[in-house]
Amino acid sequence: MQVILPDKSVRTLPGDPLPVAQILMSLGIKPSGVIVVKNGCLVPDDVLARGDDQIRLIRIAHGG
Amino acid sequence: MAIEDKCSLCNEPAVIRGSENGTRLCGSHLVLDLEGRVQKNIAEHCMVSSGDHIALALSGGKDSTALLLFLHHLQPAWHGVKITAITVDEGISGYREETVMAAKNLTEHLGVSHHIHSFSDYFGDDLDTLLKGHEQRACTICGVLRRRVLTEAARKIGATKLATGHNRDDEAQSVLMNVLRGDLARLVQDSSSGSPGSFLPRIKPLLTITEREVVTYLFVRNYCTDLPECPYTVSALRLEIREMLEELESWCPGARDALIRSRDGMRRYASSLARSGALQVCRECGEPCSGEICQVCKILASLRH
Repeated sequence: MQVILPDKSVRTLPGDPLPVAQILMSLGIKPSGVIVVKNGCLVPDDVLARGDDQIRLIRIAHGG
Repeated sequence: MAIEDKCSLCNEPAVIRGSENGTRLCGSHLVLDLEGRVQKNIAEHCMVSSGDHIALALSGGKDSTALLLFLHHLQPAWHGVKITAITVDEGISGYREETVMAAKNLTEHLGVSHHIHSFSDYFGDDLDTLLKGHEQRACTICGVLRRRVLTEAARKIGATKLATGHNRDDEAQSVLMNVLRGDLARLVQDSSSGSPGSFLPRIKPLLTITEREVVTYLFVRNYCTDLPECPYTVSALRLEIREMLEELESWCPGARDALIRSRDGMRRYASSLARSGALQVCRECGEPCSGEICQVCKILASLRH
């Protein structure tokens, strides 16, 4: 699966089904700091991602 | 779709999960829930009265964008209430241009009156110039000067209230920052009632919703845009506090609310102390302040030396 990080960089991960929050933690990203868009749809971070899913992360905290 | 991916109130896909009660909401139910909570917060604290002219601090960022959307939605239910958006252009190169443009576009789209005021007009220089050699104090300096511009701009249009987009996370961060600085006066200060002839009452309608809910609301309503990060944020104590509270909230849900409740309790106990210092007038600029010289004049003097 593909994970697009808030800085737009892309990580490709194995397609094993895992809760998104767990995937984020494995990438060193705190789930509390982002919202998750899975295949174009906004989802809670405890949903499963697998196979060819595309996960896009949007940073919550924003200075200014 | 697995059952747990659905809204707790209907069969639509969930977009958010409540961190404390685990309730899952779809986009439509989230919007209804948040609009109801903002309306309730405004009513419970008598934030808006008939005939009010609300000056809304619109930076163009996520919180103030959400604030304008909420108040614009609620406005038809209020009698004779006018909203004017005020944007402060501090002059932060590579950052503020985009958010000012976002503010312009939003107010044009909603048909809301909009005024832009710049630091250069008020203080003679933009923030980038004023801050040279003082970057570590950027957020404190910017915050004090921005509040002055907002207050003066609101006064110029005859506003009766100044609305800001502070959310529950911002408020919890402020409580902790004031505790860590040992600043009891600021901790218990309540600016919601204002003071006749001096401070304009400030209202914070989004105080009952979280930063996550704000961003999710904007995404659902197609107002979530990718704006640049303020270049001075990296030096902010608030950033450290924000991360600390995020971590704390993840394994101790409700910590944020407990902090705010503690502050509210202290505010009630300390209200007599907070009022004991008589309000004075700054001998430099004539603005109301608690000492001989206001924070704005102190900061400007320190930047010029």
